[in-house]
Order: sequence, then C-alpha cells, then structure tokens
Amino acid sequence: MNAVNALPPMPATGWFTIPARAFFIMASSDSLADLLARCALNDRRAFEALYQQAAPKLYGLLLGITRDRELAADLLQEGFVRIWQRASDYRPHLGQPLTWMGTIVRRLAIDRSRRGDQRRRGELGEEDWAMLADEGPGPEERLHTEQSETGLARCLERLDSEPRRAVFLAYYEGLTHDVIAQRLDRPLGTVKAWVRRSLQRLKTCLGESP
Amino acid sequence: MNLHHPSLSDALAAEYVLGTLHGAARRRFESLLPAHPALRRAVTDWERRLNQLAAASPSVTPPPEVWHGLEQRLFSAEARRSWWNSLALWRGLALAGVLAAVVALAPQWIAPTPNAGLSFAAIRDRNHDVLWTVAMSEDGRLHVNSLRAMDVPANQHCLLWMKTDDRPPLMLGELPDQGDARTLSLPARMPRPTQGVLWVSMQPRSDDAPPAQPLYRTRWQTL
Repeated sequence: MNAVNALPPMPATGWFTIPARAFFIMASSDSLADLLARCALNDRRAFEALYQQAAPKLYGLLLGITRDRELAADLLQEGFVRIWQRASDYRPHLGQPLTWMGTIVRRLAIDRSRRGDQRRRGELGEEDWAMLADEGPGPEERLHTEQSETGLARCLERLDSEPRRAVFLAYYEGLTHDVIAQRLDRPLGTVKAWVRRSLQRLKTCLGESP
Repeated sequence: MNLHHPSLSDALAAEYVLGTLHGAARRRFESLLPAHPALRRAVTDWERRLNQLAAASPSVTPPPEVWHGLEQRLFSAEARRSWWNSLALWRGLALAGVLAAVVALAPQWIAPTPNAGLSFAAIRDRNHDVLWTVAMSEDGRLHVNSLRAMDVPANQHCLLWMKTDDRPPLMLGELPDQGDARTLSLPARMPRPTQGVLWVSMQPRSDDAPPAQPLYRTRWQTL
C-alpha cells in the first residue's frame, strides 16, 4: 500500500477513493429478479418496489459520473423508463439484476458525457460531495459483507492499487485516460497501459473463477 | 480497426464499456456494432463483468420528482382514472376531442393563423385519414387521441418524436393505439415540441433508439 500513500492527496470526492477490494451487497438480488419478472408482466406495484430498492444505488452511480443532480435525476428517470420497457429482456446470463440495470443507466450517462454535452445546471459543490461521501456506510464497510467474495471483488483485489484506482476513476467518475492521468499525476501512457492491463487481468481472473 | 483480431476487438469492447474509448474511436466503434454480432457479444460480456461495480455505488435518495415523472410518463393512461376530477385533464381531453372532430371533418385547408397560441397536429396515414391528433396544452403537456385502433404487434409500440433539422429525434412518449387517449408529460428541460416536426415510429418495445426515418410525419398547426 506504499504506492497509495505516496500519491498526492485525492480531491474531495470522498467515498470512492477505494483502498482495496470491492464490496458487494447482493442479498436482495433474488427479489430484484422477481420484481423484474413481474415488471415484464406490467405489474406497476413491482415496478415501484423495484424503483425503491434500486434507484438509490443507481442515482449514486449517476451522480458520480455526472456530478450534476439535475442531470443525474433526468438520466435516472430515462433509465427507469427503459428498465420498465425492457424488463422482459432481462436474463440471468446478463448478470445480477442490479448489474443489468447499472448497464442501462451507466450507458446513458457515458453516452451523454461522450457527446460533449457539458451543460451543468445542478452541479455539485464540494459540500455536496462531502455529504455524498457521508451518506450511509462507506465502501470499506460494504467490503465486509458475506457476499464480498464474488468474482469481481476478489479479482479487483489482485490488481495493484494504482491501476485499480485508475479503473475505479474511469468507472465511477466516467473519466477519460487523460483526466485520470492528471488526477493521479502519472504519464498518459502509463495510465493507458494500467487500464488496458487491468481489464485483461480482470477478464482472465473472472474466467478462472468457478 | 481489425475486427478479425479477437483480442484487439475484445480490448476495444472493454474500454468502450468502461468509457475510456472516446472521441472518434468511440463513434467508429459504435458504427461497427450493428453489423458485428461478435463485437456486440463482447460488449455485453464486458457490461456483465464491469457493471457488477454498480452495486458498490453509494446509495443516495433520488428527488421525488423522478418517481412522479415516471408515473406520468409510463402510467398516465391509468393515472387518468384516479385523476377523474382533474379540471385540467378534462379540459385537455375535451380540447383534444374537439380538435379531433375538427380535423376529422375538415380537410387539409386548416392553415396556420398568426398570433394564435393553440398548437395541434394531425397525424394522417397515406390515404390522409387521421390516425392521431396531438394538442399541446398551456402547461406544455401533450394530449394525444388515437382515432383508429392500430394493428400493432404485441412486442411493438408506436412512439411520438420531435425532430428538428440539426438533431436526432427526441422521444415525446408512447402513443395510444387502440382508439384511446393519453396525456404525455414531457421530461423537464425538453425544448418545446412545436419547435420541430412530429415523427411517429413503430418499433420493438425493447428498442427505443431514435428512428432514422419516421413511419409518419407531420407539422404542427396553429389555431
């Protein structure tokens, strides 16, 4: 962990300066899958329950990428319209229900940011970020759940800390290589190589897992 | 981009999903997806792997408007029953009904008149029969009447879009297609739909990507 300590301090983006392995809470997955199945049958009550269970996580994900409350709220609404319309497309081989829903909303957020739409109306200030960081248990607490031995958590733990941080910055903040390089104060080529190799290693590691 | 090189296309798919593939390379990659099933599979596989990370996002309670907006966008037909006494609703429906009658009886000669504020549109089929009327109320909601039951396959639906010259179509909502009526509440911050022409598409429920070409199109008129 010395490499981490040698880094310049991270900006106050709080929660996601993740030291170690990931932290997966999937205890409610079965019921999310049930709710999705009922949504596919046009069950509005199931949709409401699905929203109540999944929206806070997905909103947190969108806030990290957009850093804009209004935009994140718009994307969350758009995402749940699609979740409702596509509920019948969900299959277990596409991943856990939250993974599948995360795919839908994160794709919207990345598409929006990569379109160069830089409008910021409800941009978060530093105090908002501090609050965001303080809401609920941090990632370290989420680490130690009984489900934390899922494949990806174990594989992430095997990465070196700096490459792992680069992957997290790309995933949770939607940053591109050059911004990550600035953020970590490392050469662009180094960051590109970290990300590329980390992704390869994750794939290999996940391929090995039972 | 050499797509016959599996490890390269897999690496591109990974960076596409992570979001680190950007700019021209991202657009190029996206343009290849429709014709390359193996590439789409690689993207799906990476989405399944990486989006497990979504579960470790912090939970933040979204503002209540998001759920209210969802109810309006998705269930406005059902919500109407519980809003039985809503004056604005009835006004809108009555207006839409009158317009439907006017449009159904009057042919093409309803011309825009200056200084009038009431926007409506009639969507006609190739025989010029009116299929839908769309009226915009003062609060910006769209009151849509289906005048004819459409033969829509179960897994498809009809969507209403706003198209301007310089942008891809923006979705306004799902059209009623069984002779019924619906009020569409538009997402916040959407431009006024009268700034563009209206497009109608019929497409699978699983795909609400903007259509390249409409099934029907029409212009707004002003009464």
